[in-house]
This record gives sequence, C-alpha cells and structure tokens, in this order.
Amino acid sequence: MIDPAQLIGPSSALGAPAPYWFLVFFKVLGFTLHTAFMHVWFAGSIVALLLGRSGGVHSQLLSARLLRRMPIVIAYGVNFGIVPLLFTQVAYYKVFYPATILMAWPWFSIFVLLTVAYYGTYLYAGGLHEGSRLTPLRHAAGWTAAILFLAIGFLFTNAFSLMANVAAWPHLWLTSSVAGAPMGTALNLGDPTLWPRWLMMFGIALTTTAAYIGIDSSLFAVETPDPYRQWGRGFAFKLYSFGVFWFACAGLAYLATWPVELRDAAFSGWRAALMLLTALAPGLPWLLLMRQSRSGERRALTWAVGIAQFGVLALNAVSRQVVQNLQLDRFVDVVSEPVSLQWSPLLSFLVLFVAGVAVIIWMLSKAVAAGRRRLAPDPAAEPR
Amino acid sequence: MHYPWWHVPFLTAPMLIALVSLLHIVVSHYAVGGGLFLAVETQHAYRSGNRVYLSYLKDHAWFFILVTVVYGAITGVGIWWTIGLASPLATEALIHIFVFGWAMEYVFFLVEITAAFIFYYYWDRLDPWTHQVVAWIYAFSAWMSLVLITGITAFMLNPGSWPAHHGFWTAFFNPQFLPQVLARTGGSLLLASLYVYLHAALTVKPPQLYRLIESRSARPALLGAVLVVIGGLGWYASLPPSARAALVDASVLNVLMVLLFLCTAAVFAMLYLGPYRNPSWLSPGFAILFFASGLGAITTGEYIREAVRKPYILYNVVLGNQILPEEIAPLRRSGYLEGGTWTEAFVAARYPQVMSAGKVDAAKLLGLPESDQVHLGETLFQYHCNDCHAAAAGYSALTQLTRGWTAEMIRPVVEHPEKAHFFMPPWAGTTEEAELLTKYLVSIAPPHPPGMNYGAGSAGQ
Repeated sequence: MIDPAQLIGPSSALGAPAPYWFLVFFKVLGFTLHTAFMHVWFAGSIVALLLGRSGGVHSQLLSARLLRRMPIVIAYGVNFGIVPLLFTQVAYYKVFYPATILMAWPWFSIFVLLTVAYYGTYLYAGGLHEGSRLTPLRHAAGWTAAILFLAIGFLFTNAFSLMANVAAWPHLWLTSSVAGAPMGTALNLGDPTLWPRWLMMFGIALTTTAAYIGIDSSLFAVETPDPYRQWGRGFAFKLYSFGVFWFACAGLAYLATWPVELRDAAFSGWRAALMLLTALAPGLPWLLLMRQSRSGERRALTWAVGIAQFGVLALNAVSRQVVQNLQLDRFVDVVSEPVSLQWSPLLSFLVLFVAGVAVIIWMLSKAVAAGRRRLAPDPAAEPR
Repeated sequence: MHYPWWHVPFLTAPMLIALVSLLHIVVSHYAVGGGLFLAVETQHAYRSGNRVYLSYLKDHAWFFILVTVVYGAITGVGIWWTIGLASPLATEALIHIFVFGWAMEYVFFLVEITAAFIFYYYWDRLDPWTHQVVAWIYAFSAWMSLVLITGITAFMLNPGSWPAHHGFWTAFFNPQFLPQVLARTGGSLLLASLYVYLHAALTVKPPQLYRLIESRSARPALLGAVLVVIGGLGWYASLPPSARAALVDASVLNVLMVLLFLCTAAVFAMLYLGPYRNPSWLSPGFAILFFASGLGAITTGEYIREAVRKPYILYNVVLGNQILPEEIAPLRRSGYLEGGTWTEAFVAARYPQVMSAGKVDAAKLLGLPESDQVHLGETLFQYHCNDCHAAAAGYSALTQLTRGWTAEMIRPVVEHPEKAHFFMPPWAGTTEEAELLTKYLVSIAPPHPPGMNYGAGSAGQ
C-alpha cells in the first residue's frame, strides 16, 4: 500500500522566483481573464449552434454574431490561459507534473483537439460572411468544434481535479504503467468531484455567455434593428437564469462529493464567507440583466453587468484556489516553498505588463474610433 | 526521478517534444518574418499609392492570421504541454529560472494578437498612418517574443556562467543568445519570403503584381540568408566542446548536417537564381520546391540544435534522464531505485521483501527470483535509459544496439555508459542495480544474425 504523500518529489533547489502570494495572484488573475473568454466558446459555441438551428430571425442573427466573433474570442482565451498555466507550474509543480503525466495522452491530445476545434470554428464562421453560405461541411465543422470544446473542458477538469486528488495517484499509476513508468492513459474518472465540476463549469460558462450576449446586444449591436437588441437582452436574461440554475444544481452536487473534513475546513471562518459570497455572486449580474431586459439600453447598466460577471468569475477563481489548497494541504505546503526572489526580472515584467496593456488600450481605442467613423470602402478590398 | 517517467512506446517521450517543436518552428518563424514583411510592405504600398499591392497584402494578412494565430499559437502551447510531460525536471528548472522571461514573452503575445486582428479586421477603416503603426507594433512584438524565447532555448545549449552565478540575466544573456537571435531572425526573414512566394504563386494571377511581390521579397530573403550564415557560425563557435564533438561523432547528426547543408545550399541557390536574378522562373512548382527546401533546412537545423545537447537536456544543469549532475554520486551510493521518488514507491509496492526500514536494500535485490530481477531491471531501464532509447523496437532501440551482446559485453557499458559514448549520462545506481539492468538488457537482446561468414574459426560465427 503506497502512501500517496510518498509520490511528492522534493522542492526545487532553485527556489521560487517570487513569493507565493505574487504567483498565486497572477495565477488567479490569469485564470479569471481566461475564463471570461473560454466560457464564451465552451458554452457559447453550442448555444450559438442551437440558436442557428431554430427558425427565428433574431436567434439566427444572434447565432451569427456569436460565431463570427468566436475565432477572436478563442485567440484571447488561449492567450490568457498561458498565464495561469505558467504560474501553476511554478507554484504547484510538485502535483501538476505527476498528475498530467499520469494522464499524459489525454492531456497531450488537448492541443491537437484544440487546433481542430479552432479551425472548425473558423470554417463555420467563414460561412457567415457576406457572399458565403453555410455548406454541410461548414455545419459539420461547427458542430465538431463545439463538441470538441466540451471534450477539452472535460479533459481539463480531469487534469486539475487529479492534481488535487493525490490519494488516487497510486492506484491509477500502478494499473497503467510499464515496470513503474506510467503509460499516460489514466483519467480521473473514479473521482466523485469530476462530473459535478465539469457540469458546474458548463453552468457558469452559460452565465458568462449570457452576460456577453447582454453586453453585445446593448453596446455593440448598434447596426442591428431595435427589436433584435431588445430580444437579445431578453434572451440574455433567460439564458443567465438557466445558467445560474444549472450552476446551482451542479454546485450542490459538487459540494455533496466533498469529504467531511474538506467541507468543515472550507466552511469555517473567513472561508465560509468567501464560499457564501461565491455562491450568491451570480445573483447580482442576474438582477442587472433582468433590469436591462426591462429598462432597455442603458450604458451604465451594461458596464455594470460586465463588471459584476467579472466579479463572479474572480470569486470563483479565488474559491477554487482556496479549495485546491485545502485539498493539497496534506501533501504540499505551497506557501512555505523556499523563495529566491528575482527582483529585476519581476520588475521588468511588471513594467512591461503595464506598457503592454497601455499599447493594447491605444490600439483598441483606435479600432473603436475607426469603427465609429468608418472610412470610405476600399474598391480593392474584398469582403471577407 | 523526482517525477514519474512517461513511457511512450516506439518513439520515446522526448521524441514527441522534437516532433511538436518541428511542427511549431516552421510557423513560428513565419509569424516573426511575416510580421516584418507585412509592416515593411504595407508601408511601401501606402507610400507608393499601390492599391493593387495593398489588396494583395490584405489577402496575405488573412492567410498569415490563419496560419500563425491558430496553428502557430496552439502548437506553441503544445510545446509547453509536451516538455512538461516528457522532461518534467528540466521544465521545472527552466520555469524556476525563467518564469518572468516567459511572462514577458506572454505580454508580447497579447500585444501581437491584438495588433494582428486590428491590422486585418480594420484594414479599410484605420487611417494609413495608424494602420502602419499597428503593423509595426505587431512586427516588433513578434520579434521580441523571438528574442525572449531564444534567450531561454539558447540557455539550454550553453548556460555560460549561470551554474556559478545563478542570476536571471546571466542565464538569459548566455553565450548562445546572440548567435541564435541572429540565426533565428535570419531564418524568419528567409522563411517568410518562402511563404510569400508560395502564397503568391498559388493565388496571384496578374503578372505585374506577381513580379512586384517576387522582387520585393528577394532582398529580405537574401538578408535573412546572410544572417543565418553569420548566426550559424556564431552558434558553432559558442558550442560547448561536447556538443561540437557530438556533431562529428554521432552518425545520425553527420547525415543531418549533410542534409542541412544541402537544403540550405538549395535555398540560397534557388533564391539567387530565381527571384533575385530570374523572377520569371518562380512558377508554382518552383515555389513549392523552394518552400519544401526551406522547411527541410529549418527543421533539420532545429533537430541538430536539440540533439547536440546530449547527454544533457539543460547543459550541465539537468541530464536527459531527468537527473541533476550533483545527484549522481549520492545515487551511486544509495541506489537509483531508492533515490527516485517514484521508483522507491514502486519497489515498496511490488517488492516489499527488499525493503529494510522503509528503504530499498540494494543487497537484497539480487536475492529476488530471476524474473523479478529482470522486471526491476526494466524499471531501471525506463527511468534511466528510456529518454533516449526505445526498448524492443523504435527510436534508437536497445535491442538493435545490443544484438548478440553477452552479459559480459553489456555490463561495462551499463556501469560506465559515459565512457562508451561521451554523449550518454553516467550510471547513477549501485553495482547491484547495474546487474539488474544488465539482466534485463540481456533478456531483450536478440541473437547475432545467423549465417554471416567471418572466415573459419571466427568467434562471430
């Protein structure tokens, strides 16, 4: 019988390049930004394709608007995903590498599946542009992409639940290895938290998609007719309600799978307040969307929806981190890892980060301004 | 040994890194060179008022986004995925040394994709000045991401004085940094021109526009070729002695070096004779051959760059089999099975009879039944040798290398692999463990091929 704690390797002699709080701050911030985009393709793709199948004019238009922008959403989501992954590998390397090696092939397959899904989305979106049409091939590509996104989410949930489920490692390892070397074919399927976590992610992704639709209908769909925008806001509210319901059901199922000691630790002291706040947080954007659907276009309200949903995602990311740390508490003390602070690279990164954000804001402001005062069309330019 | 070793049949796990890296670099260099091409040429087209050329550039920008932002970005993430799986200790070390280098590169990625999308999607909406600025922001960001990642990959080949000083900047500005930045910048320019030729040859019909594209891309390609040569010479001059020796010693690298020279010479010759001197030669077939030669040169060069590091994955810092050089001596005393986090747990689970006071007792290993000794020998093979060798069949399979060998021939190589070949890591276990590995290798070694005539009385018969 192997004690799972035996499978945790030694600390890096090099030391962490920054204190734990710094690493985890960027990990959580990066994850929040990642989810803001990832949710839109994770749940939004399937929602958009289902809307596209319905006969309504408004739902067709919304479907096209969502899927036309999906390639850009994916590009940002993938990029923002690099941040949490980077800082996970610095702060949680002792559990990240073994967990992903145990399920190496499914983990490795993610980037292959993502490439296929990404091109599938482009192919489908290409059929939505002027002068194009949605051929059966484009339809198939869109549906394949949407299904692959769900599968990729499942694989991610596997990896990150296995990372915290150290107790399952010995069995998974010994039943899928060659002379002690893992074949990388394991999945964390025996973990009762796996399915509820995945479903919970789908639920919250529905709410983010709904918030995106609400914002799009109020802020960006200026060229569309009024009835569509009004319908869009109403649909956003309905979808958000459905997403919250789904999230709550899956969340309760997830909580039911927790061991007693984890539940006790998570619901004691300040953590209880955090968990409660996380559970109640979707209520705010839901109320704002309800108001938006009834009171029409109000810029401030739209911005409030976006900020409130970002808050929901941030709270979820923080709570997720707190729970992960509690689960790992027995095996890894992430806070007391030796630190060998890299001052000048850290400051260089922060300066560059601020400068980079400034350049991005400048470019976006130019793009927004250009969008408002569209120049005369170039006769040489082909519509894409 | 701090981590489980991923058993990938036939290929071996590190070969997956090579595969994904090769798939990535053929596009990542284009992402840099193509960005410079679009910035320079868009500026030229605006200044000369050439609307037709501008229209072609817009078409090319779309192709560029489809290739680089999707395939290039995802395969780049794929390299990360793969190195963590196949070289966890080396990745752990690299991330601890360079996390802020990667974070800085990430900032440039973000600027890059924003610039790329605005550059293309707002083509007809931005005023020309802003449009050109956005193109240059993209080009600069892409080149900076090349500079940042090169600092990290160049460190892997020659860390310079880092082992003594352990500073981020010492690691980053290593002896291989400048030569590799030059070579990669040159490679990016050259490869971008090959992509442009291929794209133009397959999509552009008007001869006048076609000639313009050919002539405009010839000079950056020639500049790229010069930079590749200068960077390549600098790369060779800054190689550690063992890497230089490996180039001569390893027969596969000999063959690849010849292939590299042939592909590079073909690219240079085709560039000079085709687009530079005789633009009319650039037919679609010529462009495809040109492009294929370029891909051949760049992928072969990358493979060689990776392979000459052996026996290290990070030169003098982490060995290919995921052991730190300073761990070898203790492991020779305490035993490899005992010293490895996962190997010790494996022995404790499968062979508790060899454990004493919670530790693997090396003296008891040879008391196990023969089949168990062979099985533990296989464990040692997986964790000590499988990073470079498949077992029965596949990449550098040991059965092929030890065909017909006896235990007496195998044992000295197991005990001192670095003496048999300097590009193999030293043995990091006890004498008893060497015996277990020897028994495993003997068990899988096929017999000497029969029927070979060495003359009368030869021992080889």
